[in-house]
Amino acid sequence: MKLFERLQTLDRRVIFILVALAVIIPMIVPLGLPVDVTKPAKDIFDRIEKLPEGAVVVVSCDYDPGSEAELTPATVAFVEHCFRRNLRVYMMGLWPAGPELGNLALQESAARHGKEYGIDYINVGYRPGGPVMLVSLGRNVGDVIRADYTGVPIDSLPLGRAVKSARDIDFVMTLSAGDPGVQHWIIYFNARYGTPIGTATTGIMAPQQYPYLSSGQLVGLLGGMKGAAEYEMLVDMQARAVAGMDSQSIVHLLLVAFIIMGNIILLYQRRAK
Amino acid sequence: MLTSIGIWIAALLTLAIYSFLYKDNPVYKIAENIFVGVSAGYWAVVLWFNYAWPNLFEPLIMRGNIVYLIPVAIGLMMFAPLIPRISWLIRIPLTFTMGVAMALVILQRIQGEIFPQLQATFLPLRGVGPVELISNLLIIFGVISTLVYFYFSRAHKGVLGLFAKLGIWFMMVAFGASFGYTVMARISLLIGRIYFLLHNWLHLI
Repeated sequence: MKLFERLQTLDRRVIFILVALAVIIPMIVPLGLPVDVTKPAKDIFDRIEKLPEGAVVVVSCDYDPGSEAELTPATVAFVEHCFRRNLRVYMMGLWPAGPELGNLALQESAARHGKEYGIDYINVGYRPGGPVMLVSLGRNVGDVIRADYTGVPIDSLPLGRAVKSARDIDFVMTLSAGDPGVQHWIIYFNARYGTPIGTATTGIMAPQQYPYLSSGQLVGLLGGMKGAAEYEMLVDMQARAVAGMDSQSIVHLLLVAFIIMGNIILLYQRRAK
Repeated sequence: MLTSIGIWIAALLTLAIYSFLYKDNPVYKIAENIFVGVSAGYWAVVLWFNYAWPNLFEPLIMRGNIVYLIPVAIGLMMFAPLIPRISWLIRIPLTFTMGVAMALVILQRIQGEIFPQLQATFLPLRGVGPVELISNLLIIFGVISTLVYFYFSRAHKGVLGLFAKLGIWFMMVAFGASFGYTVMARISLLIGRIYFLLHNWLHLI
């Protein structure tokens, strides 16, 4: 078969172009494909809904620009939900660039809801030390956090004074791209202090979190951009993640087609031999 | 104005990196070298302001706390192999680091990972609905058969071999799920970049 022989020697750049078109076209001409909400995403939403007004939620931005596409949409949607529910947001990060990226979402959402820095939300920036820092943080926040990300002493801010140990934290949401990240929060914080933890992870990390979900160590999970899109649906603010879901679905269909085609060609080759 | 310049630089560097998909070229090389240089500078600043200065130099120099000379001495011992006569000194910082890490990791891993994960496999097989029963059986057999696969003290024959084969199947399903998620993640990154180009740069969407 000539077609199969030509496909065998297909220039890989043709595949790159097809993938690029499969991403670009649905963005310019949205298809509006449905986004189903899964139970792990709904569980985080429900837990936030149940928290009383004024409860403290730690949002740990444990990612960097390399994972921004997957985790910033989840940060935006989650922070928005917290402010709508009048919860107090305590942002930090185990990765240097995380709190800076998260701060953009924090400031934007805070301005929309008329929230005041230091009272309704705070950003204490990057906290180095991984596991050792988390253990200390739960025991006595003052041991590891003395100032916010701009250098203002933490004790001069009402929310800074209110959070002294893990007992003052009602929920931890970690936006996690690797190590240190969600596993450290589970093992060194949840196991020791019992604070409930939810997570949004990169797609690559998501399958590793399911054992923690089934053991109840994680309240819920937002896996990759799809998880962020689910949370956007839940909080009814269809933004960047939902906009990307059409492209995601079309590219997946294209890749499935490539895999099937590749296997057919392989079978043809074997028979020809 | 500054934002616009930043967006233009980011957009052009994105295109420069993607130009590699066509073939290796000087524009890609320039973008790659800029990335390496900026990363090195960025990490140097991060390490200085978040580790070295607040944890060592600030208390030592600004507050005159000479106790911090002990970690300085231990840290310097890491360079001991450079002088063969005192190379044995490296054992001190390595032993210290291993001791602290083991104390922290072993205790917390047992408490925070092994016990809860083990507990999560103690699932009821009676008094549950059919869907939950199938799910519980899958988890129980999945854990047992995968563990059997990694039991190498006896040949995988008979019942043991059967379970080991089942373990392989469970692992294959897990690898498939991981691969699927990996594809999704990589495409998400591409979507993120193209969204940036079309939305922030070209204002097409």
